[in-house]
Amino acid sequence: MDCRDVTALGIERLTGEAPEAARRELSAHLAGCESCRREMARLEDAWTTLGVDPDAEVTPEFRRRTLGLLEEEMIRGRVRAFRPRPTFARPALQAAGLALAAGLGYLAAKGIPRATAPPTAGGPAAATPAASVPDLAANPRFANVSYRAADKDGRVSIGFDVTTRHELEGRPSDPEVAKLLAYLVAHNAETAGEKSRAIELVSEHFGTANAPASPEIVAALSATLRTDGNPGVRKKAADALASFPVTPEIRAVFLEALKSDKNPAVRLAAVDALAAAAKQSPDANTIQSLREKAVDPQENGFVRAKAASALKAISF
Amino acid sequence: MQMNSGSDDAGLLERIRRGDTDGAAELFERYAPALLRFTDRMLSDRASAEEVTQEVFLKVISRAHQYDGRAGVASWLFAIAANACRDRRRRERRATVVPLESVAEPRARGEGVEASIASRQRRDAVRQALSELSEEQREALVLARYHGMPYAEIAKTLGISVGAVKTRIFRAVETLKAHFSEGENSWTAAT
Repeated sequence: MDCRDVTALGIERLTGEAPEAARRELSAHLAGCESCRREMARLEDAWTTLGVDPDAEVTPEFRRRTLGLLEEEMIRGRVRAFRPRPTFARPALQAAGLALAAGLGYLAAKGIPRATAPPTAGGPAAATPAASVPDLAANPRFANVSYRAADKDGRVSIGFDVTTRHELEGRPSDPEVAKLLAYLVAHNAETAGEKSRAIELVSEHFGTANAPASPEIVAALSATLRTDGNPGVRKKAADALASFPVTPEIRAVFLEALKSDKNPAVRLAAVDALAAAAKQSPDANTIQSLREKAVDPQENGFVRAKAASALKAISF
Repeated sequence: MQMNSGSDDAGLLERIRRGDTDGAAELFERYAPALLRFTDRMLSDRASAEEVTQEVFLKVISRAHQYDGRAGVASWLFAIAANACRDRRRRERRATVVPLESVAEPRARGEGVEASIASRQRRDAVRQALSELSEEQREALVLARYHGMPYAEIAKTLGISVGAVKTRIFRAVETLKAHFSEGENSWTAAT
C-alpha cells in the first residue's frame, strides 16, 4: 500500500470494516511513515471528538406519551381490521341468488302475485349501481362505503349501499360529489376508519390541487374538528383544513381547537395552521392566542414551544 | 448497536400485526432509544426528534404487514426513520420554522447554567460540524459512528450500494477532520 490509501483504510479501521490483513498492512505502513501517522492521528481525533456529543435519552414523559399514542393506534387498528369473507361465501351467495331468482321467475310464470317479493325503496334492485345520490336530507345510513382514488381524469368514485348499491363517479369538485363527501365526513361514518378515509379523499384533491373547497366540505371538516370523539380523526380533519386556502371560518375553528381541544397533537396542528395563516395575514386574535399558549404553564411543553416558535416566525 | 435476533424482532412485528398492544410497547422499549438518538442527530432538535420517532412507531403499526423480511427489522426501522427525517427537513425548509432549541424554555438565573456551558459548547461544536455534512453523508456517518452499523447494513437501510456508503463516510470524515483541525475547534486536545 502507499500513502494515498491511508485515509480510506484508516476510516475503515475506525468503523471496524477493515479486514485483518488490511489492518496489518496499515500498521506496518504507519510504523515507517511519519506523515501518515499524523494523518491517522487526525482521523482518530475526529472520530473521538464525535463521541463527545451526548446521546439523547428517552425521558419518562416521552415514553408515557408515545406508549399512549401507540396503544390508541393499536386500538384504532383493531376497529379498522378488515375481515374478508371466507372464499366459499361468494359462490355460495351467487348460487343462492340464482336459486331465488329462478324460484321467483317460476312463481311469476305461474301467475302468483309478487307480494312475497321484498319491497325496495328505490325500485327493483338494479344490476348496475345507481348513478345518483339518495336524498341526503333524510339522513340515510350508508353501508359498505367504498372509494376509488382519482383516475387520470381526476374522477373519483364513491360506492355505498342504502337499500340498493349506489355508485357516484365524478371529480371531487363536482357539486354532487362534494356534497356526498361532506355528508360522509359529517354524518355517515360510524368508525374512525370510515371517517378518516373520507377526509383523506377530500384532502387528496383539495389539498394538492389547491382548489377552493366547497362550503359544505369546510363545514363538515370544521364540525369534525370541533366534535369528533377520536383525536386521530380530529387531527386528520385539522390537517385537511390546514391544506385549504385560509378563510375566516377555518381560522376560527383552529383558534377554537387551540383553545379547547384536549389532544396536544391537534393543538399542535392548530398552531401550525394558525402560524401559516398569520404569516400571510397576521390578525390580532391569532397572535393573542399564540401568545397565551406560549406562556401557559398548564399547556403541553411541545405546544408551548411551538407557539413561541410560531410567534417568532410571524413578522408583526 | 445492540442488535436483537431477527426472528425475535420479526415475532414482535407479527404480534403487532395481530393487534397485540404489548408487542408494540416491547418494540418501543427495544428500539426507541436508538431511533431517538438517530433522529436527534439528524434533526438537531430534540422536540422534532421526539415527534419523528413517534411517527416511526405509528408507521410501523400501520405498515407491519408490509415488512417482507428482506432486511433486518432494525434496518427497516432505521429506513423509516431516515425517510421521516428527510420529510421533516423538507417540510421545515418550506415552512422556515425556527428551531425549537432557539425558543427553549427560560431557566431561572444561575440554575447550573454556567456549569453546563463547557459541555454544551462541546456538544454544539460537534453538532455544528455534523450540520456541515450533506444529509446523505450524515445519515451514513451517524449510523456507522453512533450505532455501530456495518456498511452492508447501512447500505440496506439507506437503499444504496456498499460502495456508496464507503464514499459517503469517507467524505464525511474528511470534512469533519478539516473542521476539527481548525485552530479554534481543536478544543478536544485540551479536554
